[in-house]
Amino acid sequence: MMRQPAASWKTAILLLLLSLFVAFVAARDFRVMNAPDVFAPAEGFARKMLSEYFPPLKGTTADTPVFIREGKEPGGTVLILGGTHPVESAGILAATLFLENASVPRGRLIVIPNANAMALTHNSPQEGHPQRIHFALKDGSTRVFRYGSRATNFTDEWPFPEIYVHPASGQKLSGKERSNLNRCYPGVPDGSMTERLAFAIVELIRKEKVDLAFDLHEASPEYPVVNAIVAHERSMELAAIVTMELEGLGIPIRLEPSPKNLRGLSHREWGDSTDVLPILMETGNPSQGRLRGRTDERLVLTGEDKAYVKAAALGRLFIPYEGNQLIAYRVARHVTAIRVFVENLEMVRPGKGVTLEGIPQYEEILKQGVEAFLKPVPKKREV
Amino acid sequence: MSWIWPEGLYAAVMIGAFAAGAFRLKLPIAIAMSAAAVIGALLGGEGIPIRHLVEGAFGYIDTILIIASAMIYMKALQKTGLLESLAAFVIRKFRNSPLWLSFGLTGIVMIPGMITGSSTAAVLTAGALVAPVMMRLNVPADRAGALIAMAAIYGMIAPPVNIPAMIIGGGIDMPYVGFAGPLLACTLPLAAYSAVTLVYPYLRASGGGGEQLEQELRRMEKVPLSARLLLPVWVLVVLMAGEQFFPDVWPALGLPVDFVLAALSALASGSRFDPLEAATEAVRDSLPVMGILMGVGMFIQIMTLIGVQGFVVVSALALPSFLIYLAIATTVPLFGAISAFGAASILGVPFVLALLGKNTIVVTAAVSLIAGLGDLMPPTALAGIFAAQVIGEDNYFVVLRRCLVPGLVTAVWGIILILGANGVAAVLY
Repeated sequence: MMRQPAASWKTAILLLLLSLFVAFVAARDFRVMNAPDVFAPAEGFARKMLSEYFPPLKGTTADTPVFIREGKEPGGTVLILGGTHPVESAGILAATLFLENASVPRGRLIVIPNANAMALTHNSPQEGHPQRIHFALKDGSTRVFRYGSRATNFTDEWPFPEIYVHPASGQKLSGKERSNLNRCYPGVPDGSMTERLAFAIVELIRKEKVDLAFDLHEASPEYPVVNAIVAHERSMELAAIVTMELEGLGIPIRLEPSPKNLRGLSHREWGDSTDVLPILMETGNPSQGRLRGRTDERLVLTGEDKAYVKAAALGRLFIPYEGNQLIAYRVARHVTAIRVFVENLEMVRPGKGVTLEGIPQYEEILKQGVEAFLKPVPKKREV
Repeated sequence: MSWIWPEGLYAAVMIGAFAAGAFRLKLPIAIAMSAAAVIGALLGGEGIPIRHLVEGAFGYIDTILIIASAMIYMKALQKTGLLESLAAFVIRKFRNSPLWLSFGLTGIVMIPGMITGSSTAAVLTAGALVAPVMMRLNVPADRAGALIAMAAIYGMIAPPVNIPAMIIGGGIDMPYVGFAGPLLACTLPLAAYSAVTLVYPYLRASGGGGEQLEQELRRMEKVPLSARLLLPVWVLVVLMAGEQFFPDVWPALGLPVDFVLAALSALASGSRFDPLEAATEAVRDSLPVMGILMGVGMFIQIMTLIGVQGFVVVSALALPSFLIYLAIATTVPLFGAISAFGAASILGVPFVLALLGKNTIVVTAAVSLIAGLGDLMPPTALAGIFAAQVIGEDNYFVVLRRCLVPGLVTAVWGIILILGANGVAAVLY
């Protein structure tokens, strides 16, 4: 065997040490993402875990908190799901505003703020996204929310198949879509982690006899289904009423029917698998778009981006973009739309109405910001 | 607010730093890419963001594993003597029908790409099988390499599996349904064109070979072709086809595991070889390209972080409408220098959305075809690099130069299909 010159060994050792240093620094940054976000539920919310509806989820990274508030007067049940795609922060924050502010005199409210907890523990490669977003509260404390990824963490879902064949329909998608919760419904009890998570959520909808369920999303401004409600045919009557009412409130919103041939999405599969009225809602979020410029926390919170200003001038966007898309505006749209849906539930499901109180109004959120309606959490538990 | 300041400067400095590192300082391309990413981050005020650099590199973890395992598989085939033996068999069978031989060789390269959606897999499996056949029949190495690279790209784009089209479909919520016809229209004419122009004249001129070829064939058949010798091929076909056609019952092992299992089966195929030596050689050969991918991953992450990506994409969309087709034909393959799949996602989706008035399935199929050309674009140029490797050529630009004409024809054909998308759809549906 040829003897290696001393310089080669020195180079090799130096490179190994450098690699160890890089691995240590990067690992420390990545591991921080495993610490869960902390919520401060309003009085009366009971905390359960999703695994109580599908026990095989217990002890896995897919298990996630489910908060339930039972009203004194009987009525229907409403489910609000945030964090199907954690990069769509307005969904998580809108769900959080209900969790931390709602009182429920009639019916029941179920909130799952972090639907895909496995997608919160990492950022998507090559997206350059921030790991967290911060809100300064009046009492001087800070609320922190992870930004995460659209997809389940590699460590939970790898290896991807080359092609993801949706089990219920045979529909073929790019293999990585198996890690997208909103392509895996109605789920598979012994499938991949994301498919099991989807199954657990559908089990919750069945077991809790949910009447009206929201899956809160955001979309890039250049995507046609944005500032929109997507409704299953069973939800269409209610969604049409709500769309008109929102227009009256000065909140223009598109109403899109759930395509029958696009499978695996909540607005299609929840409706086909259970008796619920499924609703998916989208607001416009530049920080997840393909046209975005500098990618940082500021972009997530303000939506200010000169690349989108130019794209808007070119007529490439599906939202009216005037230089920003504030997080307060995006959350206010979701919160107000949910409030209007719930107010009209009794009309389409007699005896199943739900009354929610304490929910901030559209103008209040716009004026005071999201942070005005977030509650302080114990400092030592903050991430 | 100026459009080109500061992102235009960042873009120029990053590209300039890469070019200076690679061509002036003669650094390995992987190092030049990584250094350009770090310089971009420093210039963009991000310091040296180790988290972002590592995260970006991980964007190619699957591709890197596929490359490493496919190279081990190819080495195993070579060491058992299968490559030479199979080449000899094909030459004997078809040497008197050069046109069918050229179509057949092209089709053989396309098949693994059609099944896996990966041009790399096509080049390293079937490409490695047909390369010696062509060269024994006097096809110049650069032309053999070019046909392998082009056929691998057409295979990656042809149905049933076309990942760029799936990525674009995912970006606009369009199911991957009804693509078979448009994708065949995209690829079959081009595959036939490439076969006829690149290798057919040489196969015809070889006249089936003389006594010298006969001697060579006898040498190549030293290890006789048998079902047992073909075991690693059967194992790979079964593993790949099982996942594609029986997804309900077949475990999703992923291509890297498929390749490793098939390579292991070569140990039982009759000819002895040292698996550790074969694996070491394979990984050593593929290290440069794996390094390039990691460097490119860092580069793209920093581009996105400091706003260069948006600058590039919106600048392309800002071109006058009559130039948008030119932009598709140029920017999508150019972006493929970073990744063909990345080009489909970052540029393909906005371009398809910009052409919503035309049949979306045909437009998506054609854009995916043009995105496939990204696998010929240096520095990544996966199809070109590996095609050069299977023909034994150190300089992959030799192959890329020969791909220039078929590549241009491919881009033009893609644009023709986009322009006539509604007409194509009317014929197909």
